[in-house]
Amino acid sequence: MVEAALLAFGVLVVLLTLGVPLPYCFGGGVMVMVFVGGATMKGAMLWGFGQLSSPVLLAIPLFVLAGTIMSSSGIAGALLKFVDVFVSRIKGGLGVVATVSCAIIGAISGSGLTGVAAIGPILIPEMEKKGYPRAYATALVANSSILGLLIPPSVTMIVYGWVTDTSILACFLATLGPGLLIMTLFSITNLAWARRFPLVLDAPMTFPEFGKELSRRSVVAFPALVMPVVILGGIYGGIMTPTEAAAVAVIYALPVGFMIYRGLTLSTLLEAGKEAGTAVGAIMIMILFSLILSQMLVLQNAPQALVDLIFGITTDRTLLLILVNILLFMLGMVVNDITAIILVAPLLLPLMQAIDVSPVQFAAIIGVNTAMGGVTPPYASILYLGARIGKVKVTQVVRPAMILLILGYVPVVFLTSFWSDLSLGFPRFFGY
Amino acid sequence: ETLKISHVRPQGTTVDKDLRGFSATVEKATAGKLKFDIYAANALRDYTVVQERISVGAVDMALQPVATAADKRLQIGALPYLATDWDSAKRVYGKGSKLRQAMEELYAKQDIRVLAAYPVYFGGISLNKEPVNAGQADAKKGLKLRVPPIKSFQLLADSIGYIGSPLPFSEAFTAVQTGVVDGVIGSGAEGYYASFKDVTKYYLPMNTHFEVWYLLINGEKFSELAKDEQAALEKASAEFETARWAAAAEDQTANEKRLQDAGAIIVEVSAADLDANAKQARAVVWPEIIKDIGAAWAQPIVDSVTK
Amino acid sequence: MNTTFKYLLTGLLLIVAGAQCVQVFTRYILEIPVMGLEELLIYPTLWLYVLGSVNASREDSQIRANVLEIFLKTKRGHLRLAVLGEVLSIGIVGWLTYWGWDFFKYTLRVWKESPTLYIPTFYADCALFIGLVLMTLWTLASLVKHVRALLDHSDEETGGEQNG
Ligand code: NA
Ligand code: NA
Repeated sequence: MVEAALLAFGVLVVLLTLGVPLPYCFGGGVMVMVFVGGATMKGAMLWGFGQLSSPVLLAIPLFVLAGTIMSSSGIAGALLKFVDVFVSRIKGGLGVVATVSCAIIGAISGSGLTGVAAIGPILIPEMEKKGYPRAYATALVANSSILGLLIPPSVTMIVYGWVTDTSILACFLATLGPGLLIMTLFSITNLAWARRFPLVLDAPMTFPEFGKELSRRSVVAFPALVMPVVILGGIYGGIMTPTEAAAVAVIYALPVGFMIYRGLTLSTLLEAGKEAGTAVGAIMIMILFSLILSQMLVLQNAPQALVDLIFGITTDRTLLLILVNILLFMLGMVVNDITAIILVAPLLLPLMQAIDVSPVQFAAIIGVNTAMGGVTPPYASILYLGARIGKVKVTQVVRPAMILLILGYVPVVFLTSFWSDLSLGFPRFFGY
Repeated sequence: ETLKISHVRPQGTTVDKDLRGFSATVEKATAGKLKFDIYAANALRDYTVVQERISVGAVDMALQPVATAADKRLQIGALPYLATDWDSAKRVYGKGSKLRQAMEELYAKQDIRVLAAYPVYFGGISLNKEPVNAGQADAKKGLKLRVPPIKSFQLLADSIGYIGSPLPFSEAFTAVQTGVVDGVIGSGAEGYYASFKDVTKYYLPMNTHFEVWYLLINGEKFSELAKDEQAALEKASAEFETARWAAAAEDQTANEKRLQDAGAIIVEVSAADLDANAKQARAVVWPEIIKDIGAAWAQPIVDSVTK
Repeated sequence: MNTTFKYLLTGLLLIVAGAQCVQVFTRYILEIPVMGLEELLIYPTLWLYVLGSVNASREDSQIRANVLEIFLKTKRGHLRLAVLGEVLSIGIVGWLTYWGWDFFKYTLRVWKESPTLYIPTFYADCALFIGLVLMTLWTLASLVKHVRALLDHSDEETGGEQNG
């Protein structure tokens, strides 16, 4: 049983190494389970496709579309200008703008790609103009873009809550602490690193100038700043479910993008719609086959077998948590965040509960690790998108991105595992 | 042979223990020839699809509520206030009743064999907000209740003065917690304790409907078993059902007590009020559902169990 | 074709988003939620997912890891890898399509209906098989394209590659 499961994972890895599209890699895993593991395809399509119709998952396309509209409408640009007024005159301030803007955008978008897609095209050239190396600027924006998955709302947490029957609202809050900490660490790292760059600073402003500029940019940013309030206020204030909030974000962004920021036209909307629809289709077909594979593992009692197997080796909590983090890190290198969660959350949750890690804390552990997967090669969707937008070679971005990762991200991954208050503090505070 | 059997509650709950008892009985009676793998707590995800998977033979067995997508006539047992007390419940849903026969036939059409019925509870309303005119059938309560995607519950909620709000089950708990809705209809003390105990501040035992689950097995799988295995399975199932009918009322009281211990206030409703609610719900909901599923087929069955 | 997909996908997304907003509005403001709306929504939702994925296959933008590609230096190496990946993909997606057909027949035979409006679920369920067929065809098309390119390429230059 466990042998077939391991073989399925092996085939999965070989296929994705060869560049086979991920949905078919999972399909290959499914074939192994059927032809070697004795699983049945009877009813599998019917079951999997039935799962896709869940209204919970519908939040994914809607949050993705909201993000795509933000990028093409000018909404993100207004947010950027607003953050910029506070820190742009500090040495390294523009780097902080990148990180903090990504966090604010993260409070609207549920995806890790929105930040880099929305502000990358504006900010990366601007940073270069002010003296940041282009590769560094790209790496910083891409790494900060991950915050979209950690600052609520988040599609990965929606999927985790859905597959493990955990409160999605609690899961949202679980990654908030780690997300804010990463934002802080990136900002500090950037300020220190920026001392080495020959930066050009804007002339300092007098206080009245600052006041004037702040009020001007606040007015412009106001319709955009309202979005996180509508989304998170709507969800946590008991007006709507996360899925409905995502829909409201889309519908709100339309007139704002068309009439206020005017970045949106019929043709950019159609382009955004096609882009979001295609991205969502690619994600959903992948979810379908990873769900089927995951369900076959469950039907073969793999979760329990895994717990027994691992407990046969060790029951040490610290060691197990380290092993789980390494496993999740490696998984994040090769698989997409959502499918990683679908595959391993049902497998590992029983193990976590056996060592007294609550489902909400595990949400944060798995959320932080899989989000980080977006920038760890070889499969590093966020980093690749960043490189494309920043017009630099992937190989050039990897070095600064990995340094940022080690200084800003890895410490938080460990803290999330070993300091439960970091992940459970916010959920507890809000009564979840 | 090992049969895969699914149910909808976590390990250690009454139904889980009952099922483990059943599986031990069969295993012993067949000297280990028949064994069971029990998948608890919706490990196979929602029961509606599990029913279809039994129908195509991907899952062998389940103990779960009725899914009506494949044949809307299966809704007949979910009519609100079809039974009003435990005696009438047994008359309506027990072995040999017209309704039970009809259910067995409908399941058989999906190649599913009904081994036993498992009476669970009389339904009620869980509220996170203070109830308004709890007993009065006519009063507009102004409270939003999450209704499951089942037509009779949607009609029922409105017929007794609530605002029925359709929401998926996976979002229901959080919706109550944040206040998107004020409570839930469509389950009973046991179900609310299992899934909504932290947001059940008030429980209204309104006997809204009678929840029955069925122990199901894929028809082909059953006929493939050896004669003695079939016999052992049927015997154990009959005992399983008898034991549950005997224990169900007490179990319901125990679950109301559990809700109470978890901090809920049980809002008693007088017999006269219950009667008025029942009349109203029957008047509004029944004609609609009976029309949907075909009066010529449904009416005689309903008449035979209610007269 | 590109324009068709633009209108289809954007239209489906906006229908879905609009309907969800209507539900918030009717529940929160009017306090009379629309029954049956969420079951209606399943139809455009599932078609959105399937057509989105079909378009991803058409544009060759399905999600993939491309590990080996980084190490391959020559155009020919890339083409060979693409051909190998596509042959494997077709084998797998063909098999999946067969099971999609099985599901198609099942949903046609059982003719399930949605819970309150009694709309046949077939109209959503059939999307999977149709989508898988289209995905197979588009994968075949890019296989043909890559094989042609590979043949052309080997006419022009032979040998000289690093990763055979
Ligand atoms: Na977010
Ligand atoms: Na990665």
